[in-house]
Amino acid sequence: MFETLKVFLRNKKALIGLIIVLFYVAVAIFGPMLLNLDPMQRVGRPHQPPNPEEWLGTTRMGRDVFAQLIYGTRTSLAVGFFAGIIIVLIGTVLGIAAGYFGGWIDEVISFFTNVVLVIPQLPLLLVIAAFMGQTNPAVIAIIIGMTSWAWGARVTRSQTLTLRNREYILASELIGERPTRMIFVELLPNLLSIIGFNFIGSVTYTIITQATLEFLGLGNPMSVSWGTMLYHAQNASAITVGAWWEVLVPALAVAGIGVGLSLLNFGVDEISNPRLRTLGTVAAAIKAQKKIDQQRLAEVKP
Amino acid sequence: MNFVIRRIAFYLVAFLVAATINFALPRLMPGNPIDVMFAQQNSTLTPEARNALIETFGFASGPLHQQFFDYMKSVFTGDLGYSIRFYPQKVNQVLAYALPWTLLLAGTATLLAFCVGSVIGTFAAWRRGGMFDAVVTPVSLALQATPAVVIALTALFIFGVALKWLPTGYAFAPALDPAWSFEFFGSVALHGLMPICSLMIVFVGGYLVTMRNNMIGQLGEDHVTMGLAKGLSDRRVQLNYAARNALLPSVTSLGLTLGAILGGSLVTEVVFNYPGLGQTLYIGIVTRDYPLIQGQLLIMTFATLLANLAVDLLYVFLDPRLRKA
Repeated sequence: MFETLKVFLRNKKALIGLIIVLFYVAVAIFGPMLLNLDPMQRVGRPHQPPNPEEWLGTTRMGRDVFAQLIYGTRTSLAVGFFAGIIIVLIGTVLGIAAGYFGGWIDEVISFFTNVVLVIPQLPLLLVIAAFMGQTNPAVIAIIIGMTSWAWGARVTRSQTLTLRNREYILASELIGERPTRMIFVELLPNLLSIIGFNFIGSVTYTIITQATLEFLGLGNPMSVSWGTMLYHAQNASAITVGAWWEVLVPALAVAGIGVGLSLLNFGVDEISNPRLRTLGTVAAAIKAQKKIDQQRLAEVKP
Repeated sequence: MNFVIRRIAFYLVAFLVAATINFALPRLMPGNPIDVMFAQQNSTLTPEARNALIETFGFASGPLHQQFFDYMKSVFTGDLGYSIRFYPQKVNQVLAYALPWTLLLAGTATLLAFCVGSVIGTFAAWRRGGMFDAVVTPVSLALQATPAVVIALTALFIFGVALKWLPTGYAFAPALDPAWSFEFFGSVALHGLMPICSLMIVFVGGYLVTMRNNMIGQLGEDHVTMGLAKGLSDRRVQLNYAARNALLPSVTSLGLTLGAILGGSLVTEVVFNYPGLGQTLYIGIVTRDYPLIQGQLLIMTFATLLANLAVDLLYVFLDPRLRKA
């Protein structure tokens, strides 16, 4: 465990990603406690540019953008993690079931997975959310979770298939281990990197999608999240009247967590795929070789 | 040929699933769906309009399976019923006006993103670990993780509002009439430039990273080493030996990302006030025009499946193994 952590921290991309994500998580947990404000409260005149009183200005409703940003971070991250857990649960269960049991179970699950993959996600979510009526963040998390597991199921299945053909699995089967033990003791630990990859990717996807749904007017306008901030900004034509802070603040918040999570994911990818990992080492080796060559040349010349 | 027929059958089933979701959702709502719909709508529709809408959802006639077959029949004959917001227009008419603009936006952006991403990815992998790779790959990762709405809003602010270089809305100058003239197409291109570019920027990163990682995998293969050992030129090994094989998974991901691009296009259109499906849909969502929202799912699914079929055909062309089978 400690060894993995060390490898992880040595990867520059993963480290930067981790720092960004931890920063967001800290803001989400402690921000609202320290601030202790009502983000829906009118604090000043509408569309005030950033000033010492309101650090990030006010919205058209005269609400404090900074307070909304902090409380919105909590909502958006909570939705992301909640939906991420749902996606990973469904995807992993279906993926392992299809890969391990094979046969007709695999046929049915794979077919279903491929169908869900090919139906465009956002239009589908729009239809479901529209029929649900006023959707608060928890409902959005659930519907994103229920419709977005297909990619994870597919990746988990193919990884399970390759593991299934390894000799140690065959050996444990011959010993007569039961399927439950096979799955939880032999397969699951080897699937952890795929599951982690799936989770981080799903959280990123959910945060982006939630913001998009709410921006399009399918969220609950009374809740505070990055998506509803963008929705109110769009409704107030904030950009065209020059109130850039009302738009760019939530926009950059979404972009920032997206960048952090994807750097983290790329790092995990590099760590679990040695071919991608050694690049830095190779470059360093070439550099060192060049230096040695030059030194030798310098020694030979005079 | 067998492969293509199997794919078409699969797409038919996928479309059927989307249509079934459309059929089931209003019936899963608690209470009488029509009443709930009108309660939220609180509009003043004439009784005829109301009846037409009940007919649209097929609630009027017979038991559930009868309703199901009636609904499927109308969907497969291309009848999506009446729009609430744009009554007495039918959903087909409303969407048919908007769809070409969305296809223009999403199609051009996809093509550009795929080509640019694959080419840059190829070079980044060839000089992996170098300066070019070290800059291009993280930047594209960051762009890929940025939602379309963020890029679109930022572009709108910088180039449309702050610098005033590009128009901030509509598909062409309002004073012009659609015509086969140089002026009209110039105006369309000028208005499309910002939406297309911001949509492209969101998706270029995904193709770039996929291509780069595939290329790196390919460059470790024996046939590449042999190509180099034979003394072939770098360009030849890079493009004909490695890139051609690395392109296959990229093409697969092209098919799978089409839906996401159409979704991104919806959002981009709302930001740029572009008269495509997204803009129409935005009005539909605000006024809770359920038939319109349902119609767009079917149209978008249809467009995605059609594009996937095109990708499958491209795959047959790229992968000789499929041609023989």
